Amino acid sequence: MAKKGATQSPKAGSKLKSAVPDHKPKTKKIDRRKSNELAAPKAVDKEDEWEDEDSDDHEEPAPKVNGSKTAKRPAEDADSSEEDSDSEGSEDDEEHGGIDLAAIDDSDSESELDSDEETERNDGKGDRGEEKEDSEDEEDEEDEKEIDVDELSAEDEEDEEQIAAGTRVRQTINNKEGLLAALRRFALDTNPKTVPFAFHQSVVSSKKTEESIPSIEDDLQRELAFVNQSLEAARQARALLRKEGVPFTRPTDYFAETVRSDETMQKVKAKLVEEATAKKAAAEARKQRDLKKFGKQVQVQKLQERAKQKRETLDKINLLKRKRQEGGSAALGTTEADDIFDVAVDKELSNSKSSSKKRGAAGDGPNPKRQKKDTKYGFGGKKRFAKSGDAVSAGDLSGFSAKRMKSGGFAAGGAGGKKKGVKAPRPGKSRRKAMAGKR
Amino acid sequence: MAAVYKSLSKSSASKADRDTEASKGGMERKNKQRVLILSSRGVTYRHRHLLNDLAAMLPHGRKDVKFDSKSKLYQLNELAELYNCNNVLFFEARKGKDLYMWFSKVPNGPTVKFHAQNLHTMEELHFTGNCLKGSRPILSFDGAFETEPHLRVIKEIFLHVFGVPQGARKSKPFIDHVMGFSVADGKIWVRNYEIREVEKVKGNDDKDNAEDGEKSKGRKSKGGDKDTDISLVEIGPRFVLTPIVIQEGAFGGPIIYENKRFISPNQIRAELRRAKAGRHVARMEQQRDKLARRRDLGLEDGEKKDGTGLDTRELFA
Repeated sequence: MAKKGATQSPKAGSKLKSAVPDHKPKTKKIDRRKSNELAAPKAVDKEDEWEDEDSDDHEEPAPKVNGSKTAKRPAEDADSSEEDSDSEGSEDDEEHGGIDLAAIDDSDSESELDSDEETERNDGKGDRGEEKEDSEDEEDEEDEKEIDVDELSAEDEEDEEQIAAGTRVRQTINNKEGLLAALRRFALDTNPKTVPFAFHQSVVSSKKTEESIPSIEDDLQRELAFVNQSLEAARQARALLRKEGVPFTRPTDYFAETVRSDETMQKVKAKLVEEATAKKAAAEARKQRDLKKFGKQVQVQKLQERAKQKRETLDKINLLKRKRQEGGSAALGTTEADDIFDVAVDKELSNSKSSSKKRGAAGDGPNPKRQKKDTKYGFGGKKRFAKSGDAVSAGDLSGFSAKRMKSGGFAAGGAGGKKKGVKAPRPGKSRRKAMAGKR
Repeated sequence: MAAVYKSLSKSSASKADRDTEASKGGMERKNKQRVLILSSRGVTYRHRHLLNDLAAMLPHGRKDVKFDSKSKLYQLNELAELYNCNNVLFFEARKGKDLYMWFSKVPNGPTVKFHAQNLHTMEELHFTGNCLKGSRPILSFDGAFETEPHLRVIKEIFLHVFGVPQGARKSKPFIDHVMGFSVADGKIWVRNYEIREVEKVKGNDDKDNAEDGEKSKGRKSKGGDKDTDISLVEIGPRFVLTPIVIQEGAFGGPIIYENKRFISPNQIRAELRRAKAGRHVARMEQQRDKLARRRDLGLEDGEKKDGTGLDTRELFA
């Protein structure tokens, strides 16, 4: 498998280096170096080290195979060293000059940037990737066999780093075996054949609710789907419970404490009422508004109609007037047609100014208002002696009362002799005048 | 001799019992659940009200005072043992805004950690539904709960925590609400509805309806008022849970499920902040570039004046 020689990209190499525990490859390298020196003293180079790490990489997941690999290794090394020995003799010499193993370790990642090697590496990249995938597959299989969360998480982390280098995704742990085991440990028996429904009272609907929700953002649709799920469950449960003879419906005379207190329900009711009244008021207001708008329209229409009528009549008058003037100037001798026309004009005029003229024409007096005022306050005729008495007024005894006469208030006052207790009424005007004249 | 008789009679009796139970449906299968409900310190009022709502719905729950630590959650195991509880529902509040809900089976796992979002308590939702305190709910699970192992674990834990066990101490004998758990968008949506039994709309026979009304009043034991239809009215609370992690033990042990779709709210907030800051940075960079460009072209004000020598002040000095 490691035959390719230098087929690893530098990045992967460095990564592997970090992944592999430090002490292990070092010691191996030392071993290998010894063997190489034994087999072919000139054949130690970077390529070998790469191979070395490749094999390490594969050893990590399956350490059991380790023994066989190490047995094989010397032969491989010998092959590769033979192939590469001619090209990189100089480097080898340098390294061997100072037998500084730590330095070699450090150098192997950096000093690889020789041109000829790089080309080789690029060629072999694809193959390399495939191999890596294979190894990962092996790891996965192992995971599935023995479920260990720590190992899982470790592998996952590696995966994350390789697959989604930039975006940080949460690790996904879904240990189905573990979940089922946990479930088995504490699950209640809800088998409908062995356990009555009243024992658990849980219903699992046959279909997924999510499928009946077109959009999760749509509140109405979503809640409807939830209600439907519960409604179906409630129906099913009621049927089952009735079959088992478990009381379901609360009788109307069963009173007990409820989850939501009466105060809360009162509040809810108040809110409902308030909402209803608000709605009603809004509807009323809208109606009123509409009506107002409509009424205005009617008024405007009426005004327009009136204006139109007025304009029409004025036009007619003007037209007639003009015609008449023309007729008058043209023919001095009045024809019969003109006479007829005059009559027509009069009629029109009387029609148009009917309202003002009619009242005046109807009464023979000057003005009804004047007439009324005249009757009220008097107009014309003699004003003198209007209030003086005559034969009729003297004969009128409607104002006389015998009782009053007997009480004597009037007469006593008139006589001037004052009786105590009874107040004399105020005398008439003429009497008062006469009295004034006496003094 | 007496002992032998006793043992014999006991065995026979137990056998008989078992027979009857088998016919009845198994009494030895006792569903004994008690839930310790508590929160960490630093919860908001809304978290607290949600906790109260849930506690009101779980007659087999025991509410405890706030737990002081957020790192040593394994101490909850002892606490639960102290209170004889085998389930723990723990509200962990972070930063005074994020709520994480832990559901755990106490002695030996598993534990599920959720991130709770879109919390709405019963009181703030003005729904008209109501139900008896402590009546056993019907748990309605989405079909998706049977598909994935982690969802099955979650469903089982919900069944233990939210399902009121039969004959729980403070439970009421009637069933009047449904709790719905639905999976959508990788989250679990929890709803709570009242079951209202209404007269069937298309009931054409009035007499039949009246009869059934009487029947329901008369508290039938057999399947009586078949024709009443069910309608649901929401009660509340509402919340959405995003599963984050499932641990094998109770507040400990290896992680057997981790949701990779979950992004922590902190990260989201940081992303938003960064995006906002990015705009500013971009603008400043643009400005700097513009200045540099102008300088390169010699369009800076001072240079222009000097270069041309056509300034009015210079010409007519």
